[in-house]
Amino acid sequence: MSVLDRKLHRELRGHAGMLLAVTSIIAVGVACMVTLASSYRNLSEAKKLYYAQCQMADFSIELKKVPLSELDQIAAWPEVAAIRPRIQQYVAVDLEGVSEPLNGLALSLPDRRQPVIDDIAVRQGGYFTDRRDNEVIVNEAFARYHRLRPGQWIKLILNNQQQELFVVGTSISSEFVYLLGAGTITPDPKRFGVFYLKQSFAEEVFDFKGSANQVLGRLSAAARGNPKEVLRRAEQRLSDYGVFTTTPLEDQMSNKFLSQEIKGLESFAVVTPTMFLAVAALVLNVLLTRIAQQQRTVIGTLKALGYSDMQVFWHFLKFGLSVGATGGLIGCALGWWMASGMTRIYQSFFQFPELENRFHWSIHLTGLGVSAGCAVLGCFRGSKAVLKLRPAAAMRPNPPRSGKTVVLERIGWLWKALSTRWRMVLRNLLRNRLRTLAGIFGAAMGGSVLVNGFMMEKSTQYFLDFQFEKVLRSDYDLLFKDERGREALDEAAKLPGVDRAEPMLDVSCTFSNGSYRKKGSITGLLAHAQLTVPRDLDGRPVRIPAHGLAMTRIMAEHLHLKVGDRVIIEPIKGEKIARTAPVVEIADSYLGTAVYAEIHYLSRLVGEEFAVSGVQVLGDGNPRHREAFFREIKQMPALQSIAGRKDMVRTLQETLLDNQRVIIDIILLFSGIVFFGSILNSSLVSLAERQRELATLRVLGYGPWEIGGLLFRESAITTLIGTILGMPLGYLLTRVTAAAYASDMFRFPIITTADIWLWTLAYAAVFALLTQLAVQRAVHKMDWLDALKVQE
Amino acid sequence: MASHPVGNSNHHLLRMENVGKVFQMGEVAVEALRNVTLEVRDGEFLVMVGPSGSGKTTILNLIGGLDGVSSGRLWFRDRDLTAFTPGELTRYRRDTVGFVFQFYNLVPNLTAYENVLVSTELSREPMDPLEALRLVELDERLDHFPSQMSGGEQQRVSIARAIAKNPALLLCDEPTGALDFETGKRVLRLLLDLNERLGKTVLLITHNSAIAQVADRVVRLRSGQVVEVHDNPRPLPPEEVVW
Ligand SMILES: Nc1ncnc2c1ncn2[C@@H]1O[C@H](COP(=O)(O)OP(=O)(O)OP(=O)(O)O)[C@@H](O)[C@H]1O
Ligand SMILES: [Mg+2]
Repeated sequence: MSVLDRKLHRELRGHAGMLLAVTSIIAVGVACMVTLASSYRNLSEAKKLYYAQCQMADFSIELKKVPLSELDQIAAWPEVAAIRPRIQQYVAVDLEGVSEPLNGLALSLPDRRQPVIDDIAVRQGGYFTDRRDNEVIVNEAFARYHRLRPGQWIKLILNNQQQELFVVGTSISSEFVYLLGAGTITPDPKRFGVFYLKQSFAEEVFDFKGSANQVLGRLSAAARGNPKEVLRRAEQRLSDYGVFTTTPLEDQMSNKFLSQEIKGLESFAVVTPTMFLAVAALVLNVLLTRIAQQQRTVIGTLKALGYSDMQVFWHFLKFGLSVGATGGLIGCALGWWMASGMTRIYQSFFQFPELENRFHWSIHLTGLGVSAGCAVLGCFRGSKAVLKLRPAAAMRPNPPRSGKTVVLERIGWLWKALSTRWRMVLRNLLRNRLRTLAGIFGAAMGGSVLVNGFMMEKSTQYFLDFQFEKVLRSDYDLLFKDERGREALDEAAKLPGVDRAEPMLDVSCTFSNGSYRKKGSITGLLAHAQLTVPRDLDGRPVRIPAHGLAMTRIMAEHLHLKVGDRVIIEPIKGEKIARTAPVVEIADSYLGTAVYAEIHYLSRLVGEEFAVSGVQVLGDGNPRHREAFFREIKQMPALQSIAGRKDMVRTLQETLLDNQRVIIDIILLFSGIVFFGSILNSSLVSLAERQRELATLRVLGYGPWEIGGLLFRESAITTLIGTILGMPLGYLLTRVTAAAYASDMFRFPIITTADIWLWTLAYAAVFALLTQLAVQRAVHKMDWLDALKVQE
Repeated sequence: MASHPVGNSNHHLLRMENVGKVFQMGEVAVEALRNVTLEVRDGEFLVMVGPSGSGKTTILNLIGGLDGVSSGRLWFRDRDLTAFTPGELTRYRRDTVGFVFQFYNLVPNLTAYENVLVSTELSREPMDPLEALRLVELDERLDHFPSQMSGGEQQRVSIARAIAKNPALLLCDEPTGALDFETGKRVLRLLLDLNERLGKTVLLITHNSAIAQVADRVVRLRSGQVVEVHDNPRPLPPEEVVW
């Protein structure tokens, strides 16, 4: 080891406190980057592999019933690589010991194993055998939750008949990475399952001999970029068979959620680490400027002895690089650990054959590279001024800092009103602009991250409250297989434990306004419905008009409609007669793109007197009644599915909120580190730089606490200013995040209640106080006599 | 006198021609040197005296390549030092000059031994650092840091550091300033030995006119100008100097 390296070694140890500050900020930045980038890669690579493995469909067409022979032509189109007709039906599940009705989706699958579009991957047991017709493969999550194993029997209500089915295996599939039951937004493996039936058996029980109600397809490489065109032609071609929906892959539910998450990660992986690393570079810059200044004489001497600028710079750079590399390595390790945490969270949301936290060399190397780069930048900027000096100049004692008055002194009355201590504090802050700015910047970044975390938390709470307390207020929604008349409502109202029942009518349709088209549905409600209450942004109920539509804002914007405009409605089922209706009200929704209408009006619009497709019910809360309610529900042949709002909220809370809690804890920790690091750095540099001045104060009779107090005032001011500046920044950050995650299905409300700002200030204050403890320790440890002796 | 010194390169190691040095301090310009013409002969022991602020250190810095002239020229043998690139200057400092600084300028984080090592590591034919420290009678205190040594001890480490790299030109800024009478004499003896036995050129600054008695020549400065150059045909050995 060369002599200079020995010097370096000693200095690194000598500056341990400050280095800890910088290292931890770098580590946090790199950890963020590694975590987010690794999660991004883990997810996107798992997705790619899985989609290929299962031959994920590029599109699907849902229709009433189509003979298989009618599909040959479509299969022959050059844009279409392959198609697969399939039978799909919603089913009810009756499990022993589970009183609550469970829903599921039954799908047909070839009797004998063969690779097909939207294939399954068998997890337990095996594929169908030749031994029985009534075999079933259950999706893994549902099977695991209910402890279903191959060899057991389960009861499904298929086409109004209860069927006993023999479980041969469990499976997963790429089309259900994110498996949602009807009307829910988070997977609920307890209440919703997928059941694969033998093709022959499905044809039999659903009465679909030689026909299908869903067409899955893969496109040729050339057509993959524009599936809409193919779908449009296919829809035309199949129009006689009652096409309900055509869904390109990008609109497929599971894929949409998964891709949304991947997209969010991608943008996050850039924004957040950049913020932390910018603070790190600045803080390192302050530190190295200080060290270079302190070592002016040494630098001059080394140059006088014959060291070249490069050699001296390299010496400094090594200092920066060791800090950068240490921070980078810690960051990589931390990032790796957090990425496994993230991946575990994703494992609970997404079903993949193997989603694991892989070690991505390139990400870790980038992390190290970025941290080293930011250290080099800090070094370069910090040592440039001193390195430029001729040795003779460098060896002369530092020119006294200009004793010029600071701006504030010119405001006479203000300056006079300040105590001596405050004057010292303010002078010092204003004379060390870079350091003050670095302190403010650090606090601003820390503050903005805090605001972002708190806003996210609020936003989720607000969302749950808005959507599930204010808009959707029923306990259970019963959905029927077909439209029914008034009797369905009466029947539901008479169910045990039902306090209130309200009808609803869901009409799937295509909205169009000029060239703007959008598929969606209209929900018909009673004029004074209480179980679904559309609201505006302020939470005020939006009237359901007797005539015309109340449309959610997203939908209206999409179609370029405003109140008073007329929209063309083309129902997807039944008589497809296009009608027009005026938009009368605009409502807000964070979930979905609902359009509401008065139920009688809507019924007439589709040529009925009074039609009901579902009933919303409010229970009396008596558990005994609920059991009876469930028992009766299970006997209702017309029922397609039942959605429980309370269950949904509970699942949401378990998954969304719990995971968010973890993420917010991490945000708190990280912003704490940023606050701690930048404040500690500023204070320690200030302390070192003013050793003599402060030592003189001590000689004059100041105690260590009073000296510490001076430093604390400085950091309190920078922290306060920084945190306040960080607030709008955090708000912006949240907006950007919300925009990155926004989709047709889902929007983040932006909440700006006062407590967000207060909490941010409170946390900033706590972090500043905690840091002061470390600073105070340094003040106590300082050797005053030595400080008076040293000459700089 | 010939204005071109090239022909004299055997004789003159260094030559300053009308050198001026102005320090700009914000609004004010401090003229530290005015029109200094001075030569340093190969192998001589030259002493520079003058009151504080007269420009002694400034001259030494210019000669040592630590600073640039504001006007005039500075020749090292037949090469124009004022036209050196930064790289050439570095090499010049590394290979030719040994500096003893007025304020010692030891690296605080290095021990006495390491402070010598820091300069020998650079040079091509260095002395053993231990040997250099022995010469200044500090071989007992190798592992001490500057903060653990007295001013005089630090000064001697600084001398050891300068001589250890075995330079042709030794520039000493008040090397005996912080030393007591006895130690001062021994240091002088050491420098004289280097000058006489190894043929090193020594340029020494002092406040103390008595020391001038050991020199081959004495240059007297006042207010940035050379006021007198005086040959000393019979230099005294340091032992006979009355302090
Ligand atoms: N970097 C500088 N900036 C401004 N003025 C300077 C600088 N270096 C030297 N001076 C001025 O130049 C003049 C000569 O300084 P120099 O250091 O050469 O004096 P000196 O003869 O070595 O004095 P001393 O015996 O006190 O060391 C002094 O007036 C000094 O203030
Ligand atoms: Mg001097």
